Amino acid sequence: MRGRLSGLGGFVTYTMAVLILLFVLAPLVVVVALSFSEAAFAVFPPVGFTFSWYETVLNDPEFQHSFLVSTLLALAAALTAFALGMPAAYALDRWRVPGGGAIEAMLLSPLILPILITGLALLQFMSMMRMMEASVNLFIGHVLITLPYLIRTITASLKQVDRSLEEAALTLGASPFTVFWRVTVPQILPGIAAGCLFAFMISFDDFPISFWLADVETMPLPIYLHSLMERVFDPSVAATSSLMIVTGVLAVLALEKLVGLRKAMGV
Amino acid sequence: MTANPTDLALSGLTKSFGGTLAVDNVTLRISAGEMVALLGPSGCGKTTTLRMVAGLVQPTSGDVLIDGYRVTHIPVHRRNIGMLFQNYALFPHLTVAQNVAFGLQMRRVSRAEVASRVTTALRLVQLDPFAERLPSALSGGQQQRVALARAIVIEPSLLLLDEPLGALDKSLREAMQGEIRAIQKRLGITAVMVTHDQEEAMTMADRIVVMRGGVLEQVGTPEEVYSHPANRFVAGFLGASNFLRGSALGREGGEVVMRLDGGGLARVRAGAGPGGPLIAIRPEAVRLQPASAEAPVENGIPGTVEQVRYRGQSTHIHLRLDDGESFLAYLSNGDEAVPRQGFRPGDRMLASWSSASATMIADA
Ligand SMILES: Nc1ncnc2c1ncn2[C@@H]1O[C@H](COP(=O)(O)OP(=O)(O)OP(=O)(O)O)[C@@H](O)[C@H]1O
Ligand SMILES: [Mg+2]
Repeated sequence: MRGRLSGLGGFVTYTMAVLILLFVLAPLVVVVALSFSEAAFAVFPPVGFTFSWYETVLNDPEFQHSFLVSTLLALAAALTAFALGMPAAYALDRWRVPGGGAIEAMLLSPLILPILITGLALLQFMSMMRMMEASVNLFIGHVLITLPYLIRTITASLKQVDRSLEEAALTLGASPFTVFWRVTVPQILPGIAAGCLFAFMISFDDFPISFWLADVETMPLPIYLHSLMERVFDPSVAATSSLMIVTGVLAVLALEKLVGLRKAMGV
Repeated sequence: MTANPTDLALSGLTKSFGGTLAVDNVTLRISAGEMVALLGPSGCGKTTTLRMVAGLVQPTSGDVLIDGYRVTHIPVHRRNIGMLFQNYALFPHLTVAQNVAFGLQMRRVSRAEVASRVTTALRLVQLDPFAERLPSALSGGQQQRVALARAIVIEPSLLLLDEPLGALDKSLREAMQGEIRAIQKRLGITAVMVTHDQEEAMTMADRIVVMRGGVLEQVGTPEEVYSHPANRFVAGFLGASNFLRGSALGREGGEVVMRLDGGGLARVRAGAGPGGPLIAIRPEAVRLQPASAEAPVENGIPGTVEQVRYRGQSTHIHLRLDDGESFLAYLSNGDEAVPRQGFRPGDRMLASWSSASATMIADA
């Protein structure tokens, strides 16, 4: 925070901020509150207080499976997207790649195209290719939709890198490869971390891709949650949702601890 | 820490950026241990020239030779060059000591030797107490001294400086000029500096290279370039100068007699300057006296006072000549013999100078 706003402008700004926050958080608060309700049906306001729904959910092998699938999938997708996005962003930003603009637009296109349609197209393609392994298909789909986030954040960080630092390192005898690792990467690290976090959350949260590509044996959490809601009406659904929220919050806190979130978001 | 004296030669060095010539056929020889300043207005190609020497820019044609070896196609990181940047370019994530150690680590110098050489270098720039700080916790002047230590600790063949002091305030800049120059001399490093500050070039460099539009206009010691500018551009760029147009009438006892277009005669020592239709006279060489109605004198021209500006050490008097040209005189405020009082706008004055202080130059 670089300074506090004051006067009428400040009052309006802070009030707006609080209202927006309420608007965003209120539904989440309802869900979390319900997850502690003693009532056998998800009704608001909650009745009493219990951890028993969490107990039920955490002991449910289906939940355990889905949680594991989602976590592994999100980690794998984020890391792979990083491994692919880093060189792509570097090349697009630093080298004169023929058709670079078109390549960049293509890599970023999953951001613009309706994800549901992307998922459907993937499904059609994969069944045409006789790719039957859901875990592999999910992995490919999730890399596809998380890649743009990494390319975006890394490109943005690369543009902010002070080029004279790289030049100084070159004059000091560092090879271009060493310059990249010892000078460029430390400067874009917050951007990389932010990109990986986005990618993790996008994948962990994804419904429209997984909707097409998942099967009963490999069911990510959002799909499981959806199926749960079709057959269960007790607050265990709310508890499952709350656990997803907690995972997101933990990821954000971990990033804050590692590189500082403000820096990572470029604020 | 001493450098092996290295000489540098640029041979027909040319760089064009998409058709526009940034540097045009620059040929220059810089001897070992010499400090040369590239001086010129913005966009004249100083930085591009320096970066070609460093290897950061690939020349369109021509060559860079270090100690007689052609290094034109050797990449930057194998040229053994120390470079100072205007924005210091210190690695923000490394401490002062780690910054200075960087180049040595790249050379796979042993840990113990790195430590001792870093300490020596930091002591040289008087920053040894700051070794463990991050660059962001240092002032601009201190940061540039760290950059200097980082550049010289690798015992570079060449020290290249691109407006190294441009971001500092005047007094600090002057102190740093002295410091950099002293270290460069002490280590005997061949150095090329880029600046658009003529005072900086004159105080720091053994020789000045004046550039314009990618071309070398003049190369010489500060004295030569200042006292005997090759042309109107150089004379005007290094300090102020008055220009009078005339035509040579003939020679008389080692002097060229010229008829000034504005009236009167002027005598210029033959061989002073490259010759040409212009006489250049430095404002500090001009004397003023009230104009009398007599016939035009030699080495003098009448004019009307337009402005009187007190500048501390000197007073600047702006005259308007009868043909509409302006003429500038600096009167030293320390010199009791020079009258300073009594100049008022509108006064008629005779500006005069000695033959020895005039130079004949080209109108370019
Ligand atoms: N990478 C580049 N691409 C295109 N044109 C360039 C590039 N670098 C420099 N130029 C052009 O080349 C010319 C010389 O630039 P250069 O930076 O060498 O000037 P300079 O003398 O250092 O000027 P300044 O005093 O402003 O730093 C300028 O016209 C500039 O616009
Ligand atoms: Mg420049």
